[in-house]
Amino acid sequence: MLNFIVRRLIQIPLVMLALSVLIVALTMLLTPAQRAAGYIRSDQQAAQLERIIRDRGLDQPFPVQYGKWLQSTLSGDLGFSKSSGQPVLETIIERLPNTIELTLVTAIPIILIGVWLGTLSALNKDRFIDQALRVFAVLGYSLPTFVLGIVLLAVLYGYLGWLPGAGQLEVINQFAVGDIRRYTGMLGVDALLNGRFDIALDVFRHLIMPALTLIIVSGATILKVMRNNMLEALTSDYVRTARAKGLPERTVNLKHARRNALLSIITLGGFLIIGLLSGSIITETIFAYPGIGQWVVQSALQLDVPSVLGFALLSAIIVVVVSTLTDILYGVVDPRVRFD
Amino acid sequence: MKKVALLSSLLLAAAAVTSTAQAAVARDTLVVQWANDVPTLDPAATYDTASGAIVENIYETLVTYKGASIRDLEPLLATKWAITNSGKTYTFDLRKNVKFHSGNTMTCADAEYTFERNLVTNAAESGNWFFSESLLGTGANANDDKSITWAKIDRAVECNRAGQLVFTLPKVDPAFLSKLAYAGQSVVDRQHAIKVGEWKGTEADWKNWIGKDLQGSNLNKQPSGTGAYRLVRKDANAILAQAFPGYWGKKPAITNVVIQKVPELAARQQAFLRGDADIIETGGRANIEEQLKGKPGVVVVDGLPNTSATAIFMNEKIADASRLGSGKLDGRGIPANFFSDVNVRRAFAYSFNYAQYIRDVQNGKGKQRTMLLPDTFPGYDEKVKTYKYDAKQAEAYFKRAWGGNVWKNGFTLNVSYRAGAVASQTAMEILKKNVEALNPKFRVNIQAKEWSAMLNDSKAGKEPMIIIGWAPDYADADNFMYTFYSSNGYYFPRNNWKDASVDKWLEQARSTTNAATRNRLYSLVGQRAYEQAPFVLIPAGVGIIAHRDNLVGVSARAYNPMISFDDTGTYWKELSKK
Repeated sequence: MLNFIVRRLIQIPLVMLALSVLIVALTMLLTPAQRAAGYIRSDQQAAQLERIIRDRGLDQPFPVQYGKWLQSTLSGDLGFSKSSGQPVLETIIERLPNTIELTLVTAIPIILIGVWLGTLSALNKDRFIDQALRVFAVLGYSLPTFVLGIVLLAVLYGYLGWLPGAGQLEVINQFAVGDIRRYTGMLGVDALLNGRFDIALDVFRHLIMPALTLIIVSGATILKVMRNNMLEALTSDYVRTARAKGLPERTVNLKHARRNALLSIITLGGFLIIGLLSGSIITETIFAYPGIGQWVVQSALQLDVPSVLGFALLSAIIVVVVSTLTDILYGVVDPRVRFD
Repeated sequence: MKKVALLSSLLLAAAAVTSTAQAAVARDTLVVQWANDVPTLDPAATYDTASGAIVENIYETLVTYKGASIRDLEPLLATKWAITNSGKTYTFDLRKNVKFHSGNTMTCADAEYTFERNLVTNAAESGNWFFSESLLGTGANANDDKSITWAKIDRAVECNRAGQLVFTLPKVDPAFLSKLAYAGQSVVDRQHAIKVGEWKGTEADWKNWIGKDLQGSNLNKQPSGTGAYRLVRKDANAILAQAFPGYWGKKPAITNVVIQKVPELAARQQAFLRGDADIIETGGRANIEEQLKGKPGVVVVDGLPNTSATAIFMNEKIADASRLGSGKLDGRGIPANFFSDVNVRRAFAYSFNYAQYIRDVQNGKGKQRTMLLPDTFPGYDEKVKTYKYDAKQAEAYFKRAWGGNVWKNGFTLNVSYRAGAVASQTAMEILKKNVEALNPKFRVNIQAKEWSAMLNDSKAGKEPMIIIGWAPDYADADNFMYTFYSSNGYYFPRNNWKDASVDKWLEQARSTTNAATRNRLYSLVGQRAYEQAPFVLIPAGVGIIAHRDNLVGVSARAYNPMISFDDTGTYWKELSKK
């Protein structure tokens, strides 16, 4: 197991290197003028296009540009993010904890609710509850995230006023945040650690709608997969054997059938967490949630190459780390799987 | 498992139920929601509307616009000024007892440092090129123009023994004062800037700062201006500013300003309609009229001045054979000099349906201008004639063009607009429809082009016909007239229209500070341009904004298009809430 983990950790820089070559090469498909356009915001500035190309070395060959980028990256400088107005590394450090916080309040409910409802649906196959849950799953699965997000915003905030609108904090708390000592970078968690329960509650209330959006959309997928796995497990030989041994139905369903049905949920959950940690682009944008996803969409729209590269590196780390953890967990849950 | 899931659901519900009724924003707080980030808070790097709208409130310039006027300037950090040496020397008396947010007192050394820093750095992305043009005679920085030396920069901006700030220009620039009113020329705190790691203000390290992009400078992170508001914090959530207790002027009524970044229009609208935001980026006229107008608590201010100008360019010397089709007047293309015949240009000008554009694109709220200059700018002449859509006239001119060959053989013209610019696309489609209706042998192909490609190709003179606009850097006619009409202007390569008289008038207008003379010269340019039709002038939309009804100080009378851009047309310090 230890060898496996070490091997996986060694993969991180290699994956990052390969990704960076690929992304820099892809950006080179754009002309220098196209990349220079990322630095300007008006027709007036367009007059300086040639100067920008020259000053930033955008017309230099690929090895030179890649070499420069790699050199600065290895020295800890990921470049400057035009889209956020600060260095890329600072942007990641500022925004990633927000995305982690959203992931924390989202991933667990998604998996738990999805697993629970999927199990419930399978155990009540073809009954009303199963039909209702299947309809819910289809709706959640097929409803575009931005439509659901805007509907929730319009109803829960705009019409009913039950929840706060977009953003992370009420205006009244915006100024108080400066007094909070940051330990984790996660605003809600840090507010709790500072004993500022009012701010923590505010942050949490602002998290409800984005979390709800993600839970409905992603939970439906888990529900669907869990239901199918559970149905398959319920008709398997080992479940029949368990029943023949006279075990109570609850034990058969939950201990024998569901445990096996959960195996693919681990993989799916891994992908889900990778997706959430890489930033829920649409959800963060709709709810003005200052996470990684909101930033990367701005970066891409503005052809902000250093930011896109920084994000790609972050994604690579997330993918390798979460995949490794998923594989380890798989080995724990399924004794048949051994890595060494 | 079931319990945990239930618990999660209950927690969500409980948190929702703890919600109290939303209160509108407090009276001492102004909440603004924009779609995008603010790129910089360093005046030297400020060259976009979002940055400018913040910078102009935390920093101050030597002069500013008087109320809603864009013609009259008044002192701000200066108390008075004198123009001597035939308009080439400007001497400013500076306001005394002005404090920076850092606590430092403003002196002439701060102003000198500010302007020298702008000239030294003059990064490609910044707006310092037009300031450098005035003081050094070139828009370039010392990396691009070796004639720029430290001595030259130092001589251009100096403090005299009386503590006055003296600018020495190489030649007369009637727009110089207007340029000084631009937020990018705000005075920075020299001691503070040096302390946070900016240029030291001496010859010793000036070369290290040439062309340096200051967008992410330390001064951007820790600004210190003399403005009525000081920065509290800028983070991924918002920009927070608070009234500066040591401000030299009148204490503002609004204490706190919060600029929130909310990319989604629907979310901004919800906040605005609920009173959680006082001002939002509205998405334009159509959206205001359909979604906001008439809603409780919403005030719409219409009929505001528009300070941009847009035109269809007809290139008289097309430098790309691939855009010419056959390259001949045989119905399958055009020659490279197709638009050099004034009859062709006039025919196109008569083919554009201006009234339809105003009706369809501008919701009926547009104005046909006489020249490519905002109608509120000095130098604009209402009396210059304009083209109207007239199919008969268009036909007559097409029949005259190129000895009758245009009408006889027809043509195929390739035109471009910026991808995603719906108004530009519609303008081109209106033109295409009307031109093609005149003669079955006329063909206009419309192509959407990515911005950078269009900028590059049009600058290289490769585009036969494009639609493009200009927004002001400073409120002077020269910023538009020279840009559009001079053969030395920025837009010249896009249409290659050259008129000796127009060039002469524009140079004369640049070399005199006599307003009446300049206005007369611009009027002559406008008339000549009407006769020669180098452009099809696109009607200008009418400005419109929306704000919450408890916000006081926003009105058409108080609106200055050069301040706070599209938000209120005022500084924050002029607003209050009831």
